[in-house]
Amino acid sequence: MSSGDDEARLRAAMSEAHRQDAEHTSSFDAMWRRTDPRRPTWRWAGLAAGLAAAAVGIWLVSRPEPPPASWPAIDTRWAGPTDFLLQTPDLITLRSLPPLDPTADPWTARPAPRGTP
Amino acid sequence: MAPAELEQQIAALHPASFAWALACTRWNAAEAEEVLQSVYLSILEGRARFDGRSTFKTWLFAVVRNMAARAQRRRWLEARAPWRLLLGRHAEPVDPLTSRETGAGVRRALGMLPPRQREVLDLVFFHEMTVEQASEVMEVSIGTARTHYHRGKLRLLELLGSEDLP
Repeated sequence: MSSGDDEARLRAAMSEAHRQDAEHTSSFDAMWRRTDPRRPTWRWAGLAAGLAAAAVGIWLVSRPEPPPASWPAIDTRWAGPTDFLLQTPDLITLRSLPPLDPTADPWTARPAPRGTP
Repeated sequence: MAPAELEQQIAALHPASFAWALACTRWNAAEAEEVLQSVYLSILEGRARFDGRSTFKTWLFAVVRNMAARAQRRRWLEARAPWRLLLGRHAEPVDPLTSRETGAGVRRALGMLPPRQREVLDLVFFHEMTVEQASEVMEVSIGTARTHYHRGKLRLLELLGSEDLP
């Protein structure tokens, strides 16, 4: 069998394999119309809108309460419950200098004016 | 290429593209339609662009082939998904090549060939392409395409000789 015969046979076999293709083929118009290029764009837009809505919702739920118009006066100084233990008598004594009478010191005492007994 | 011209060229090649998609999906009509739909969508979205380096038909067929391969990989992974294995649902789809339609014998013989041999023979003997054009569609070197062509021809002739063809 020649090469030409072989090729003719293969061509016929391929046509045979594809004989019923046309029965399965959908029309071009139907397939082309189904291929809507805007669909993915809308899908992404919907996804973005959903994410934005979720973010706004989370922010609304978790946002801090607004501060009141006037803050109440609160003493923020804190005193520990055992602070009084630190108030020792020594500490109280040493917080100020003892009052000394300068006249009682013989070295620093001023001499008495003349004529005084 | 203008959108109207693109649509016109795709429309003219639609039957041939569908036949090629059928060959790429082993004559599974539902899969072929899904593949072709994905091809049209990727062209319209600009993910697949014709750059004029080959003929439009060659380029379109290459896109169909790539899309079919991608769909096949996805199906393979889905069939072997862990939950399917756990549930014991590992059912392979029925091979359309064994269906009892006209030309089923030839399709069965084609199914015994390696994919690249099957593809090059389909492109050359049904779609009237040269081996060089077939190599562009298959994205292989022309030498590789020639090798697949010659081996496939011999093997298919051998298989057809043993098949009880209608």
